[in-house]
Amino acid sequence: MGVIHYFLGILKGFGNLLGGLSVTLRYFFKKTNTQQYPEERLPLPERSRSMIKLIYDGEKDMFNCVACLMCMKACPNSCIKLEGVRMPDGKRRMTTFKLDFSTCIFCGYCVEACGFDALTFVSEEYENSVYKRGSLLQDEQAMKWVRPAHLKPAEPAPPAGA
Amino acid sequence: MGEKIVGMAAALLHGLYGFLHLSALAPVLDTVVEAVVMFAFVAVFVMFLVWMERKVSAHMQSRIGPNRVGPLGLLQTLADAIKLTIKEDVKPVKRDKVPYFIAPIVAFVATFMGLVVIPFDKGVVVQDLNVGILYVIAITGFTVVAILTAGWSSNNKYALLGGFRSAAQIVSYEIPLVMSLVPVIMVTGTLSLKSIVDYQAQAGYWFVLPQLMAFLIFLTSATAEANRAPFDIPEAESELIGGFHTEYSGVKFAMFFLGEYIAMVVSASVATAVFLGGWLAPPFLGFLHLPGFVWFVLKILFMIYLIMAFRWTFPRLRVDQLMDFGWKVLIPLSIINILVTGFVILKGL
Repeated sequence: MGVIHYFLGILKGFGNLLGGLSVTLRYFFKKTNTQQYPEERLPLPERSRSMIKLIYDGEKDMFNCVACLMCMKACPNSCIKLEGVRMPDGKRRMTTFKLDFSTCIFCGYCVEACGFDALTFVSEEYENSVYKRGSLLQDEQAMKWVRPAHLKPAEPAPPAGA
Repeated sequence: MGEKIVGMAAALLHGLYGFLHLSALAPVLDTVVEAVVMFAFVAVFVMFLVWMERKVSAHMQSRIGPNRVGPLGLLQTLADAIKLTIKEDVKPVKRDKVPYFIAPIVAFVATFMGLVVIPFDKGVVVQDLNVGILYVIAITGFTVVAILTAGWSSNNKYALLGGFRSAAQIVSYEIPLVMSLVPVIMVTGTLSLKSIVDYQAQAGYWFVLPQLMAFLIFLTSATAEANRAPFDIPEAESELIGGFHTEYSGVKFAMFFLGEYIAMVVSASVATAVFLGGWLAPPFLGFLHLPGFVWFVLKILFMIYLIMAFRWTFPRLRVDQLMDFGWKVLIPLSIINILVTGFVILKGL
């Protein structure tokens, strides 16, 4: 009995080894999954959060921002500096907007706090390395972003009672 | 074909000796030239093998592997070799100086000398010894001395453990390695690798068919002899950092590395000559009329692919499992194989 078990065990082990080898052989001839990054880029989902941008309205030729300072208050790291003026027609307009990305943690509270569809996350700009720390302090011109036609602004939430 | 090329090269060389008035030194110079040619061949071949190993492992893991330096990344190993040679040689202060220096040289030379008896083609062999197989096994067995010396002289407990483990492993696996070759020697009645290939040419079959069991045992033991995964416990990086070569860097590390790959080439060459018909063309492919050494190299590459596939497929054995496998499986199987072969020869079947 013992001898038979001994040889059966060896045969079984040999079969298992062949099974393992067949798996690696199959993968050897399969297509590789590697993305060659600088040459090939993965298409990111449209709403993935890569960089924070200030929305610029091309038709009205101005930023959507009205300098209500809600984003500044929402920011946990106080990395947003924002100034605005009251225009002759009584409406407020943003004059300077500075976001220091060296302290920003991309929590998205500013985007959530914005009630005027002026701040948003964009997907396409994700290579954010710079050579100097100062280059991370971006102003409204650096953050200017025109929303492409195929991206619609987020629907306002329905009233609570509805 | 190979014989003609070698003959022409020899004639050219001897003409050159005559031109330089060095004919008296011909035997010495011949040896030097042979050694240089073999070293050049092996260095280039090992570079290719390192690249191949990285490519094979990469594709088995759905990766691409080296592809930046040179076409298909072929020059990657050259870049690595240059990097290794210009690297600072970091030495432990409390090392045992002389053995520490000698160990990598022995590791390289011992395996390199195994190439002397490999018949690459009909008539293309540095020196066809009539004890060829015995010589290869004896000379490649020197690596264990090198590894033990390296482990001891490094004055590092991990290196020492690696050396000990390697000694235990090679002593255990040398036995099935030799015993797997015994049936073929019994059938052919010769220890010369060239004569064994000649026998296969006359018999019309390769020994891998009647001696499949011996072939598999040889393959397993050769993998263990070369200290390659799944038998790489002497340098198990998860347990022993680098094992015996923990304290080696730069050129000395490159010597160990080269030695490991040459050991693989020697094992694959012996397997090719003994079991796979050496330089003979495979059946049904004889119409291609490729030179013998091309077939030989292709067969070596096939064997090395198998050894690489083992490395990237199987997990490493524990020390006790390794000993179990060697003493309780491989050795009994090889003894049974010898007995059965002897019985068949005796009955004249």
